[in-house]
Amino acid sequence: MYPADFAYYRASSVQDAGRLMNEHPGAKFLAGGHSLIPLLKLRLAVPPALIDIGRIVDLSGVTVANGRLRIGALTPHAEVAASSDVATHAAALADAAGQIGDPAVRNRGTVGGNIAHADPASDLPAVLCALDASIGIVGASGDRTVPASEFFLGMMTTALGEDEIVTHVEIAAGQQHGSAYAKFPHPASRYAVIGVAAVIAADGDACRSAAVAVGGLVPAPVRASNVEQAVSGEALTDASFAKAAQRVGEDLGDEILGDLFASVEYRRAMAPVYVARSLSAAAARARK
Amino acid sequence: MELTASYRFDVPPTALWPLLVDPAVVASCLPGCEALEPVGDDSYRAVLTVGIAAVTGRYEGTVTLADQRPPHAYRLVVTGKGRAGFVNGEATLELHEDGGGTRLDVAGRAEVGGTIARVGQRLLSSASKMMMDRFFDCLRKQTAAPS
Repeated sequence: MYPADFAYYRASSVQDAGRLMNEHPGAKFLAGGHSLIPLLKLRLAVPPALIDIGRIVDLSGVTVANGRLRIGALTPHAEVAASSDVATHAAALADAAGQIGDPAVRNRGTVGGNIAHADPASDLPAVLCALDASIGIVGASGDRTVPASEFFLGMMTTALGEDEIVTHVEIAAGQQHGSAYAKFPHPASRYAVIGVAAVIAADGDACRSAAVAVGGLVPAPVRASNVEQAVSGEALTDASFAKAAQRVGEDLGDEILGDLFASVEYRRAMAPVYVARSLSAAAARARK
Repeated sequence: MELTASYRFDVPPTALWPLLVDPAVVASCLPGCEALEPVGDDSYRAVLTVGIAAVTGRYEGTVTLADQRPPHAYRLVVTGKGRAGFVNGEATLELHEDGGGTRLDVAGRAEVGGTIARVGQRLLSSASKMMMDRFFDCLRKQTAAPS
């Protein structure tokens, strides 16, 4: 279907984008467009105007400076997946970015657009929560930084205001840990039916500490604190991961998403499998 | 799609009931409600603008508060349609005395069709739950407000 008519404006800077948003109430920011354009074509979204922020150059790219890995909001997923800096400092993020959608989505879709849209079946939100990322935001009231755990508030609902733009994502670099992402992709859409990100700090053959976040089957990513506690101090073996992963049911809460492809019960039963896989893959990297 | 939820209020059922059947209160708490006009027999014509993220739609329909048994229960019947699809739903609201307060149990089912159901099926129950939570949170605030 063709989208309904809309006006199109191209912003040259984030300030310009803010000004345009002020002038055109109800407008939507357009980045890679891989969530927004399908909604426009289905006419589920009919904004009067689009403000294209896709050409604001200083919002794109991966850098490491002052102990922080910084990923510009307009960086496409393919670039994140291929970045050696991301692989070194946040391997789970490279894993996840490389598994989003298909090549077209990965080459056009952006990190900022993905997290601003906050689809529950998106891959990046859980990864950012597990890695304790912070999210840089700019708006009319100035710049601010929000921890990932406080950014994703619910299904497609974030801490981002109507006139605000995600500028970048930051993660501590040089951490002595291994991280990985394990995903059960929907066979048609490649959206995450279940996606689990794990971060493990090793102490010899034991787990010193762990961070685990689960997405896909919940409205917004949740930290699996029961799993994290159960695995901390234990041996880095698949047996202990499988045992700890059983605790994830206590972390998920009572609101599990289901659909025709994968029911609530099925997803609940499969969650520990992916928790264990992510822990195992993270541990293999932590030992190196 | 089945919906069940339970909400807790600090006021007893006799104090909560009048709010639940007051169209002015319901209209002010229903997310995106633009109009709620009586059309007789405990029925109202409703206009809602519902939006989550970029997906916003305007829906028109009727809301009926049937089988009222004050202050214990009623049956909420909703029909509506908009550009993105239609919804037909029914829910029973039961108010139970609970240590001086009220436990309100909602149990219902809804049929959703059209574009929104085809492409958004996996998101519908969560979206409905989110709207219900917002409605009852708002109602809870009203019970706390001085009358």
